[in-house]
Amino acid sequence: MISNQLSLVRRELWEHRAIYIAPLVIALVMSLMSLTGQVTISAFGHEVDLAIIGASSAGEIERQAAITAILMVFTSIFALGAWILMIFYSLDALYAERRDKSILFWRSLPVTDAETVISKLLTAVLVIPLTAFAFVVVTHLLNLILWSIWLSIQGGDAGHLLWSAAPLFDNWAATLIIAVAMPLWLSPLIGWFLFVSVFTRRSPLLIAFLPMFVVPMLEKMVSSTSLFWDAIFVRSVRPPLFKGIDVSRIFDEDNFQIAADTASLLAKIDLARFLSSPSMWLGLVVCGLFTTAAIYIRRYRDES
Amino acid sequence: MTSLVTARGVSKRFGDVLAVDNVSFEIEQGRIMGLIGPNGAGKTTLLKALLGLTDCDGELSVLGLDPFRQRKELMRNICFIADVAVLPRWIRVSQLLNFMAATHPNFSMSRAQELLSHTKVRPDAKVRQLSKGMVTQLHLSIITAIDARLLVLDEPTLGLDIIFRKEFYGNLLNDYFDGERTILITTHQVEEIENLLTDIMFINEGRIILDTTMDSLAGQYSELMASGDNADKARSFGPIFERDVFGKKAMVFEGVSREQLADLGELRTPSVADLFVAKVKGAAA
Repeated sequence: MISNQLSLVRRELWEHRAIYIAPLVIALVMSLMSLTGQVTISAFGHEVDLAIIGASSAGEIERQAAITAILMVFTSIFALGAWILMIFYSLDALYAERRDKSILFWRSLPVTDAETVISKLLTAVLVIPLTAFAFVVVTHLLNLILWSIWLSIQGGDAGHLLWSAAPLFDNWAATLIIAVAMPLWLSPLIGWFLFVSVFTRRSPLLIAFLPMFVVPMLEKMVSSTSLFWDAIFVRSVRPPLFKGIDVSRIFDEDNFQIAADTASLLAKIDLARFLSSPSMWLGLVVCGLFTTAAIYIRRYRDES
Repeated sequence: MTSLVTARGVSKRFGDVLAVDNVSFEIEQGRIMGLIGPNGAGKTTLLKALLGLTDCDGELSVLGLDPFRQRKELMRNICFIADVAVLPRWIRVSQLLNFMAATHPNFSMSRAQELLSHTKVRPDAKVRQLSKGMVTQLHLSIITAIDARLLVLDEPTLGLDIIFRKEFYGNLLNDYFDGERTILITTHQVEEIENLLTDIMFINEGRIILDTTMDSLAGQYSELMASGDNADKARSFGPIFERDVFGKKAMVFEGVSREQLADLGELRTPSVADLFVAKVKGAAA
């Protein structure tokens, strides 16, 4: 069972190479932007010197907060990329094998439909975010090195300004928790996408997203409530994973007043609240239902 | 002889259409069975039921398993190549072999590599880069490398040129078939497989209209070429089918001894294609 899952997930990576190529491209583009940024600001010799002096004399908390914010800019772009990948991957996962007619070949092997569908779910909720996480770590390190080199050329002390002030392990631990928790929070949507990809005959993107807008609109018109809108969109952007503030507010102006808090990303994560959230568990149940339905359809549908 | 496939009163209904109508038959181990039928006769439905891809009524046992409910166990010992079960185009040959080795307990990597080394299929090629003939070679090599007890072929050579078709059946007999394994094959190109079959089954409108061994075919059926008075006399023996060939009558007889017909014209065993036409058209007439 486990070794079959590993082979099946490896198969997904062969078929959907975007899972690692997309974050690789993001990493390269962002590092390249770091480099061009360095070249550009190097032209302002005097101002750069002043900035380095200013940064050197800033308090450690302020430096940590500033670097955390910069690291988070990188992380959030990977997170956005991973989320887009998860959407497109799960919409394609059970659709492509029917489009290219290879489904009967896959089904001629001693692999059950449940194993296959679960491998695709695992790829979406685990492999894609964890791959993105690995690239986040590498990109953080690579860019810290690039900036260290630049700082040294400019006569700054990179060890003091960057490395001693970068709460890397705090940041990575928090990012890893987010990388595991957010897909669980969004799993009902991923389950829905997999379910659409198993039954739709064409354009899974349209078939998946149209009802997500039409159903809340109809609800609004019929009963002027917004249960579906809240369940789909409001819920998605309000995971109960953070203390006090929402993800959307991490970069708020307020942050400069609560800088000590901002320096540690880990301190912002409220795992107990996440794990005790009924909405999270309900979401997992919804994901489970969609996945079961997808397995059932793949198993019992007559392909002809 | 052990029976590998047993069907008793198997039916499959799609809405109002009875695609397979109360079919019973057995396939014994070590046989090469040809399942012949016109389009829409229920061939594919029957094969799907055997492969556990569709549910059916009646009693169906393949390798002692219920194909629909024990699919995973069944797929360890059964292989199929179908015109509609194509290999994924994005995969590399080496990836495909690795995947087979990882998921199929009866797959032999070395055997597959050895079989492929006789072809032009390179391990680093993607399936989409191969010609249709090469894809079929690849598929057959993979299937042959699986130590499976039953191989089901559904129109395996559709769209291939004659050289690949000949080669396919040559490889099938030389590399796959060893007298222990069993093959069930359907195709429209009956002439090409006629000589390799040991058993034959005709299906028409969901019913089996012939189920016999190739060896006993000659004893049961004969085709007479007769003209004029002889044709009229022959007609009294009740041919199941009659057609015109170069001004003569070609008549197919079932269960009429050859001695009775010998004086009336040229006698031979009908080809499977002719017999098939006779059975299908004769039944319709």
